[in-house]
Formats: sequence, structure tokens, C-alpha cells
Amino acid sequence: MVRKIPKRSTTRRLHRFLGAGAAVFIVFMVLSGITINHSNRLGLAQGRVSQAFLLDWYGLEGPEYIHSFAVGNDWISFAGSQLYFNDKAVSTVTSGLGAVASHGMLVAAGSEELILIDNDGQLIERIPWTSRGAGPIESIGLLADGSVVVRSAGQFWSADAELLSWQRAGDTVNTRSWSIPGSAPAILQQHIVQHYRGDGLSLQRLLLDFHSGRIFGSVGVVIYDLLALAIGFLAISGLVLWLRGRRNGNRKR
Amino acid sequence: MTRCKKSILIIVMMSLPTLVSAASVYETQMEFLSRAFGEPQPTPNIIWLSGERKSSVQQMLGHDYPAMRLRYWCQAKRSAWVLEEIGKELPITIGVIIDHNYIQSLRVLTYRENRGGEVATPAFSDQFNGVALGADGALAAKIDGISGATLSVHALTRLANMALFLHAETGCTDGS
Repeated sequence: MVRKIPKRSTTRRLHRFLGAGAAVFIVFMVLSGITINHSNRLGLAQGRVSQAFLLDWYGLEGPEYIHSFAVGNDWISFAGSQLYFNDKAVSTVTSGLGAVASHGMLVAAGSEELILIDNDGQLIERIPWTSRGAGPIESIGLLADGSVVVRSAGQFWSADAELLSWQRAGDTVNTRSWSIPGSAPAILQQHIVQHYRGDGLSLQRLLLDFHSGRIFGSVGVVIYDLLALAIGFLAISGLVLWLRGRRNGNRKR
Repeated sequence: MTRCKKSILIIVMMSLPTLVSAASVYETQMEFLSRAFGEPQPTPNIIWLSGERKSSVQQMLGHDYPAMRLRYWCQAKRSAWVLEEIGKELPITIGVIIDHNYIQSLRVLTYRENRGGEVATPAFSDQFNGVALGADGALAAKIDGISGATLSVHALTRLANMALFLHAETGCTDGS
């Protein structure tokens, strides 16, 4: 007697085909979804992407300008709105103007704030300037006695050694020097550009774009939609196959 | 640039509103100090975050405070602090006035995140008024959260805790 080979239904074949195709996608979506749910705890919002090909893919470019100031053996650089101590990002800054060394501290001036850094590039303090009611800072320098002087709205202001309090310094001041930009080494500028580009793309954003398909543009979103529909089909076809199998089992009994 | 890359760039720009969102300034530092002390204002003092003090602050915030020293203003056992803490991605600047180890006022000075700005409303921040540190070093009162602003609420709660701790560290209550 010839054994009859059961004919596979279209639903079963489609279920198997789509199930195998969607398996990798489902696993990825589950893992990325769980990771996104815990992104704050994992610090993904603060983490930055550094891979050049991903930054290129997103079209993230370097800063419009890098202004560097030699302070002793170190460089203070302003790249866009970011302040760097050598190649280390220290803080954001508004329109960087210059930097000086005074009483064991480095003092970087933006138009709206002064940023104090120690000799290892650690942020000591951020001093808001315009919130004092003064105009924007125009330049920073050193007085003959080594204390910091700032020109703001055409007026000169000098500080005590700890930069705690500021006094008007008269219409003319005996300055040792004003901070002027210099030419930082090319390798340092390259590191700054690389870091600056990476700062614009968080790990959380990258993961969200992978999870939604946006990383591949509008085509990626459509593909993800189709895969989502395939998963929906799998749920329904799985239910149909289960019910059909159950019914056939009852008949045999 | 290909059309595909252009479309991705547009999506990225749309999905990163925090990069272009403007900060909301509710009160400048000068206005805050005027509210705290009137005129003339006391000269600022400095407290360094180092050693055990740094560890304590790190424990309260869950990370190092992004500065090695803080300035504060102290007069007649009242101190005023301008502190910053990241809510989700950007720093929130707050002004805290502490009177005899109790928070007299906590206000958001500048809010930079694009969501969760409800923490700047007095309806929320007034919850901190009269709060002190408990025996365990945490706030002695429970601060009600705001749906959709959880991270900002936590950030302000941590800063309130830190301000009370630093006030005690300065000895401002002793009149120094």
C-alpha cells in the first residue's frame, strides 16, 4: 500500500516562509526594544557614537571653526559651542574668545561666561557673566600683576585671585597681554573634529533609528512596516494552523 | 549627497529637537540673588567638592558634580545656591534658598530640555518649601512626581538634597 503524503496547505507554507524570514528581525526588535526601555539606566543618552562611517552616514560634519589659544604647554580650543582642553571636551561655551593662565588656573572666556579649568582639564567652575547685568565679554587678558582682566561692553573688569569678585578697572588698564588665537598642531585639530562630530549622535538616537528603521531612510521604515505586517500574519496563521490541527485531531478520534 | 542620505539627515534633524530647542530663562542669577537677599547682596563664598564631600555629593547625584567648586552666598544663617543637574540630556539650572537648614525656596532658573518644563511651575517647586534633611541624609518629605517629567523631578529632588547637605557643610547656619 502506498503511503499518502499529506499535502501542505498554502497557509502552512507561508507561515513557515515568513516565520523563518522574520526570526532574525523579531530577535533584533526584542533585544533593541528592551535596551531602549532601559536606556536611561544604561546611560545611552549620554553615550556618543565615534565610528566615522556612522557619522558620515548621518551627515554629521565638523565644527565651522576651531579657535585655539596656547596657554603654557596646553591648548584651549573653541570648536563651535564646545570648549576643549587639548583634545578633551570640557564644557559648552558661547562664542569662545580667548584663554589665559592665572594663579594656577586656566580661565577660558566665552561671550557670556568664564570657565575655570585646572591644569588637568577638570572643570573648576562656570561663571555666568551676562547674568550679572554686564554686557557680553569682548576679550580676556592678564594685568601686569598676573590677575585676569576682561573687556566687556567697552569697560575693563579685573578679578581677585580666586575670581570671586570683579571690580571696574578704570578706562585704561596696564595689561601684560590680551589673549590671541594661535595655530594648534594639525593632529590636535583632527582629534577635536572627530570628537565634535561624535558629540552630535547619541547611542540612544542610533538605537532608536535602528529600532524604527529610520537609519535606512524612508525605505527602511516601509521595510519595517512590511516586517511588522508579516509578524501580524504569523500570529493569525499560527492560530489558524493550530485550530485546523485541533479539528483534524478530533476527526481522527 | 544622495536622496537617501538627505532624507536620513532630515529625519535626524527632526528627531533631535533638543539641539535646536531654546532654553527657557525664568529668572536670572542676579534676580535670584536680589530675591534672596535684597540689596546689598553678600559677597560670594566658595566651597570645594573634594574628599568625603565629593563622595557624598556623588552618592546623592549618582555621578560627580560637573565642577570642582561651587560658589554660594550666605547672610544671617541663610544661604543661596545656583546648581545644575541634567534631567534627561540637558542641564537644568535651579536657585535654592536655605534658611536655618530648611529650604525656603527652590526655583528653576533656566530649563533647557524640550519636555518636562512643568517642574518650573510654583505648583511643583513649592513642594520643597520647608523641607529639611532627614536622619538618613535624604529629604524628609516626599516630593510628588509629574507624569512625563519624571527625570526632571528626580534631578530637582537630587539638587535639593545636595543644597541642604552643602548648606550644613558650610557652617552658614552657625553664622559663619
